[in-house]
Amino acid sequence: MSAVLDRPVLAPHQDPALAGAADVRPTGKRLGPGRRRQLAWVGPSALLLLWTASSATGLLDPRILSEPWTVVATAGELIADGRLQENLAISAQRAGLGLFFGILVGAVLALLSGLSRVGEALIDGPVQIKRAIPGLALIPLLILWFGIDETMKVLTITMGVFVPVYLQTHAGLRGIDLRFVELSQTVGLSRAGFIRKVVLPGALPGFFLGLRFAVTGAWVSLVVVEQINATSGIGYMMELARTYGQTNIIVLGLAVYGILGLLSDGIVRLIERKALSWQRTLAG
Amino acid sequence: MSFPAPKPHSSPGSPAFTRRSALGALLAVPAAGLLSACGGTATAGSQRISQAALEPLAASVPAGTTIKVGDPSIKVALELSGLAKELDRVTVEFANISGGPQTTEAFRANALDVGSVADIPPIHATWTGLDVRIIAAGYRQDAVNHPIYELGVAPGAGISRLEDLRGRKVAYSPGQAQGALVLRLLDKAGLKQEDVKLVELPSTGDAYATALASRQVDAAPLGGVQIKRYLAKYRADGATTLRHGLRDDPSLLYSPAKVLADPAKAAALAAYVRVWGKAQRWIEDHPAEWLEGYYVKDQGLSREDGQYLIDATGKRDLPTAWAEAIDRHQETIDLLAREQKKPQLTAADLYDARFEAIAGTAFASAGKAGAA
Repeated sequence: MSAVLDRPVLAPHQDPALAGAADVRPTGKRLGPGRRRQLAWVGPSALLLLWTASSATGLLDPRILSEPWTVVATAGELIADGRLQENLAISAQRAGLGLFFGILVGAVLALLSGLSRVGEALIDGPVQIKRAIPGLALIPLLILWFGIDETMKVLTITMGVFVPVYLQTHAGLRGIDLRFVELSQTVGLSRAGFIRKVVLPGALPGFFLGLRFAVTGAWVSLVVVEQINATSGIGYMMELARTYGQTNIIVLGLAVYGILGLLSDGIVRLIERKALSWQRTLAG
Repeated sequence: MSFPAPKPHSSPGSPAFTRRSALGALLAVPAAGLLSACGGTATAGSQRISQAALEPLAASVPAGTTIKVGDPSIKVALELSGLAKELDRVTVEFANISGGPQTTEAFRANALDVGSVADIPPIHATWTGLDVRIIAAGYRQDAVNHPIYELGVAPGAGISRLEDLRGRKVAYSPGQAQGALVLRLLDKAGLKQEDVKLVELPSTGDAYATALASRQVDAAPLGGVQIKRYLAKYRADGATTLRHGLRDDPSLLYSPAKVLADPAKAAALAAYVRVWGKAQRWIEDHPAEWLEGYYVKDQGLSREDGQYLIDATGKRDLPTAWAEAIDRHQETIDLLAREQKKPQLTAADLYDARFEAIAGTAFASAGKAGAA
């Protein structure tokens, strides 16, 4: 029975039998963005170039934004005494834990709320309320409830992370075309089979979009939680530098966040491309 | 409805199929148990515990007593000096929390037993219904010439005396020592709040230095390294600082009264205060180790900045009697109550008299013993 829902027939460009044949398809005006190219680095590099140029020409006052070479030198110093690595490791651990629990909670809630009307009635409203409340504003309450230890920190990140995962997964799930549901009924799929073969793959695109929000969100939340009873982490390092007016360390922290965000987003997109290889969309 | 005939499919374990279901499985992980909640519920009882109701301090600490301490710099001092081992009978958990807003928040959450602050937070905590007591007090010798704060003046503001503040924008943070200092120096200059424009701005990190540099305010109190940084960066533009000529030196430990009402905790806190006094002496006697171990290694400052802070602190003064300090505290309370329209308090009620001699005695004897 499962045979019905298997892989679609190969597209011409993927068919090994056609690999050597000349492409004789008629060409017309192309409306999409064209073939995929490895150009992800162009935008960030341009930004870096602009920063360097405006610092070098004196357009940018170094007291307002440190020069790129100062930041690189600062990074060198902090790496030499090991402060940067230590702080990065502990931040990564907090972000990772928060992300793990957040993804879990978000995905499970999305499934519960997406697959049953009762679930939706119970879950969807509270999540929308949570969305409307700024994470920063919750901190005092979280301290009252969970104290000032690691639990509170991981929980704060979790609270920030699960919302986008929930929202996008839920939307992706609800966006599954009714044709597939009817097809599953026609071929007599069980409920479990329907969830495994239609719902989960169908919700994946939404889930990945949520994940992209979540990974950067986890890094961003760190600044907030590491200002409370932390003696380590990138956010703590920046906060300490603020106390002493060390702008170069603050800018370095921002650069680290930027790089981390870009990298983790890139990793998620890579996984997404591999996982959704069956999708044929404008993204190419 | 008609469907096209199903395609003959490849082997059941075609790679795309397993990969997709593997990823689907990621989504289908059953919900794991949520993080266990710790910490009790906090009830802010505004019922004040009277000093008379507190039992005399026990001579020894019951085994297994734990205290949570918000005193980050002393944590480092205890490690550097080896004084940490004197607290064997007490389990001390350090939290990186200090200053008024953070410590009172943690007190309310029952997450902290003692915090390190200046003289304003205990007053504000009391006004907000949190019953706290001061258990240790440290000052600076020749405090007027070793101020914690100087008044930063924005480039081109043309303020060279306190009297010049009339009609100017002054940064003001009501619940912090910096805010009280602003009120005190206006008082000294014979100015009323109405004579200047107070700009409400909490003093966190480098907020005041930045506000001055961008001319958002004409004057703002700057503390510690911020003074040096501000002048280094903006002196060329005409930035200056002004000495206010007042004492702004109190450095206090305070605890919630309900913690002090617990005999085991109170005994443990007394042991901590004793070590705190010794640590202050050790810091004073070992400037090189303190510079290297705290300012450079722990705080990430340059040696030059660390040395500046050590010099600015000068010699410490830990009195064995609080009478004089309480009088000065009362003056501050009177001024704040008047200017901020808050109820009058008796300064002596904010101090736990059982602890009066502990820190000062430890400080003095550590000096005589020639601290190891």
